[in-house]
This record gives sequence, structure tokens and C-alpha cells, in this order.
Amino acid sequence: MSVDTLSPLPGRKQSLLSRLFSRPLDVVISVTVLLFAASVLWQLSKWAIIDAVWTSPDATSEVCRGVSGACWAVIDVRWRLIVFGLFPYEEQWRSSLACIVMVIVAILSCVPMFWTAIRLSALWIVGFSIFYALMAGGVLGLTPIAPDKWGGLTLTVFIYAAGMLIGMPMAIALALMRRATLPVIARTTGIIIDSVRSLPLITILFTAALVLPFVLPEWLLGDKIWRVILGFALFFAAYEAENIRSGIQALPSGQEEAARALGLTYWQRTSRIILPQALRNALPPTINQFVISFKETSLIVIIGFFDVMASGKAAYGSGEWSFAWVEVYVFVALIYFIFVFSLSRYGAYLERRLRVGQH
Amino acid sequence: MSETAIQIRNMNKFFGTFHVLKNINLEVAASERIVICGPSGSGKSTLIRCINRLEEHQDGSINVLGTELDDNVSHIDQIRREVGMVFQHFNLFPHLTVLENCTLAPMLARKTPRGDAEAAAMRYLERVRIPEQAAKFPGELSGGQQQRVAIARALCMAPKILLFDEPTSALDPEMISEVLDVMVSLAKDGMTMICVTHEMGFARQVADRVIFMDKGEIVEEGAPADFFGAPRNERTRQFLNQILSH
Repeated sequence: MSVDTLSPLPGRKQSLLSRLFSRPLDVVISVTVLLFAASVLWQLSKWAIIDAVWTSPDATSEVCRGVSGACWAVIDVRWRLIVFGLFPYEEQWRSSLACIVMVIVAILSCVPMFWTAIRLSALWIVGFSIFYALMAGGVLGLTPIAPDKWGGLTLTVFIYAAGMLIGMPMAIALALMRRATLPVIARTTGIIIDSVRSLPLITILFTAALVLPFVLPEWLLGDKIWRVILGFALFFAAYEAENIRSGIQALPSGQEEAARALGLTYWQRTSRIILPQALRNALPPTINQFVISFKETSLIVIIGFFDVMASGKAAYGSGEWSFAWVEVYVFVALIYFIFVFSLSRYGAYLERRLRVGQH
Repeated sequence: MSETAIQIRNMNKFFGTFHVLKNINLEVAASERIVICGPSGSGKSTLIRCINRLEEHQDGSINVLGTELDDNVSHIDQIRREVGMVFQHFNLFPHLTVLENCTLAPMLARKTPRGDAEAAAMRYLERVRIPEQAAKFPGELSGGQQQRVAIARALCMAPKILLFDEPTSALDPEMISEVLDVMVSLAKDGMTMICVTHEMGFARQVADRVIFMDKGEIVEEGAPADFFGAPRNERTRQFLNQILSH
């Protein structure tokens, strides 16, 4: 037999077929499962696409009467409420622009070109300034709009971005303080972290929004939205600090020793040797924490903020569309999915990138 | 008589209640090459780690190049800049390239401009004969290459004293000689060196003085010829028999 006639390795399709249909029992199981999957998929696409109603010409729910498929018309009619919340209708272009600015800043800060302290801070300062000017108004002839009118996806994105941006430096500080050589600092930090972790986020948000006004003097209060963001950041920081600490703990003691032997100071050792490696080690749990925190933003509804989840609920809540709650929740879920899935894909990219040349 | 590089007087160190170093007295002259040997747990690594304050001593005094090693942080930083150290497990920074490993400390601790630091780093990498690896990461190199980078990294700070803490113990046998060759050439150039090592061939070839430690004490010291030829202490004889017999 010549070399040419030897069969090549079976292709992916061939090997899949032979694995699923090699023995009689395999055939039975495979066929049953495939039929079941196909029927589910058929039902689903019939509901979501084939029998669905996409638009409502007169902006009422009449078009969906007696239709067996999904009534996506509710999204068509009410998407502004979901995305912008109670933001005044004629000013909603500001909210959408602000949301886009925030997302663009977030995407840009994921690009390695911006990874210097100056560029990153400049980027976020500019980003937040534009966002705030657009949302709050009062400058450049924009009508002032109070934060309790902000809402929807824009509010979710804002609270999340601000919370993470304040929370991450807090987390690093807590992690370093917990490893301080002075026992007083290390133990106090430990107690702070443990206390925050043992409270539910709802309690912290509730305290920040409703209890603090009774405790703090007027000048220290600030707007409710900032107290809520700080509470959110603190909650994130307590968990993330432990992730970072685990990353530091995983470093061999020789790293710190070599840096000390070279005459580097504490801050030089920390910023150049310890943290870059520790943050890389802590990347998977960190992404995890970021993902969890994004979904936790929906809790701000209990203190009167209309995030994307709450305004979604408002979108079907007004009698006329109350039958279409599934469609609205599917739409909101899709928004969450897009954000969280991009985040986890970015995490995977970072892991690949940071592994270069290291074993 | 040349000037004194290191002076250790009546030094004691404890790990908790365990007395690791007992009344150590040691004077090292500039350009002197010293080899410290002894069974494991004898305190030899701890002794050299006290010289740059990786370990703190509890009693007695250590003076390095005229600076007293006390709790004053600026004294400690001063000494660490002048004393280089090479570790058993290399301890290179895995997230930095070979070149960055070499330039980091001069740029941060000595404020050397990047260009000068890189030129010096390339010179020292040539000296340890691996300039072609400058752009690689430590994880891509063999053990012997990594240890040579570690030596170059220490040299980049232009230290007056080099401490070697069992630099060949973690290496595969065929890589030991490439590291020892570099150490021999440094010794020939007049570097003040203290080496904790079991490489007795190296000790014979370059050491001015060999020190034998056991149970936290300096048991015996002398020129290599005397030390290996006619050890006076019974414990020294036993140790030499054990490590030279195979």
C-alpha cells in the first residue's frame, strides 16, 4: 500500500458521526436527543421570530391581539422608557449620547495603548465630565436635570462605571493595607473587609441613601446618587480586595526579596513587581467580581433609582402592555448579556495577552 | 592592609526562641573572596541575608561599607544599593524581559536615565555571555541562563559587594559550570564576594578564606590550602569527608 492511499485522519464531521451513531443504543439516544432539541428550537423560533409581531403602527397593543408569537412591538413602542427611564423625552438625546460616551470610554480603556496612568486618568476624567455635563445640564445652555430623573440603561452604566472606578483603587488599597507590617493597620483593615462582606448590598445601599442623611452633617452628604455609588464601590472593594490579596499571596517570597535586595523602596516594589503580577494572578476572580457587580446594579431600585431593570418593569406595567412582560424581560436580559459577555470575552483576551512569555 | 568592606561584631539572631546565629564575628576586607560552607540548617544563608537586611539581627552590630545597619530605613536602602545578591532560585521578575530585569533597579533606585541603564545592562549581559537573550522573558531561558541574568541584574547596580546564596544548588549539573565561570571571572576582577556554596572546587580556586559554620556558629575559618589540607576542628573534618567523598 502506498503512502497516498492511507486514509487521512477522520475529519471533525466524520468523527462526530462515528461517535454519535456507532452502536444501536447510541443511535437511539442520539436520535431522541436531537429530535427533542430540534422541537424546542422550532417552538422557540416560531414564538420569537416566525409568529412574532415586530412593530405597532399606531403605538397601541391592538396589533398583538390574538397573536401566538412574541409581541416585540412592546419594545418598539417602549424602548425609550427602558433605555432612558424617566429622563425628559425631548432631552433623551443627551442621555443616549452620555451612555455612548461612557461605553466608548470603557472600550478605549481596554485598549493597551491607553494603559498608562496619565492616559487612563485623563480618559476617565474627560469621559465623566462629558457624561455629567450632558446628564445634569446647567452648562452650555443645557436644561438642568436632577439625578433622580436619570434612569434606564444610562443610569445603570453610570453607576456601574463610577462604582468600579472608585472601587478598584479602594480594593488595591485595602489589599495592601491588609498585608501591612503594622498589626494595627492589618487587623483594622481585616475587620473593615469582614464587616462589609457580612452585610447584604441592599443594607449598604439603604444605609447610604436613607440612614446617612440622619447621621452626617449637610455639607458632607452630597447627592444621593454619589452616596449610593460610594456604597456600591465599598461593597465591590471588600470582595475585590480579597481577590487581589490572593493574587499577592500566590507570588513566591523570592520576588519581594529580590526587589528589596536591589534597593527598591516599598512603593517601587509594590507598583513594579508585586501588583503587576498579583493583578494578573487575580484576573479570573476579578472578572468574576466585575460581572457579579454589573448585575447587582439592579438593586438600586429599592432606593428609588430607575435602572434598566426597573424601567423595563415600568415599560410593561401600564395596563395596556401588561401581557408582554416576557418580551420585555427577554430584551433586558439581552442587554445584560451583551455587557457581561463582552466583559468575560475581554477577560479571556487579557489572560491570553498577559500570559505571553510566561510559564 | 586594605579597607574593611563588612564588619560583623557579636551578632546574634533568633527566629522566635530559636537561636539561629550565635555570636558571629566576621570581618571582610574590600576585594576579599569568602566562601561559607556548612551543613544545611547551619545558618549560613541567614548570615548573608542579615548583611542586606533580608533578615533582621537582634543583637550586636553590622557595618557595611562604613554604614551602620540599624533600623534607619535610609541606611538600609543605602546598603542595599551597594550590596548585590544572587539567589538560589534566581528570583528574576517573570513579567519583565531580561533587559527590563536588568534596567529596573538602576532606573528606579539610582535614577539612571533609560539609555544609560540599557547600555550598561547590555554590557553586563555580554559579560555573562547572553546578550542575545535580552528581549526574552525569564521563563524562556534555561536555569543556567536565568542565573547568569540574575548575576547581570545584580551587577547593573554597580555594587561594591556581591552576596551569593547557593547560586548553583538549583541548577542541573551541566549548567553549573557556566555560572561558576562567571563567578570566577568576577572574582578575578576584584569584586568583594561572599558565597554560600558547596562547590569546593570553586572555593579552592578563588576563595581567600573559607568559613565553616555549624549550628549557628563559625566553627573554623582559614585559607583554602589550610582549610582543605589540615582542618583543625573535628566537625569540619566530618563535613569535608561527607561532601568530598562522593
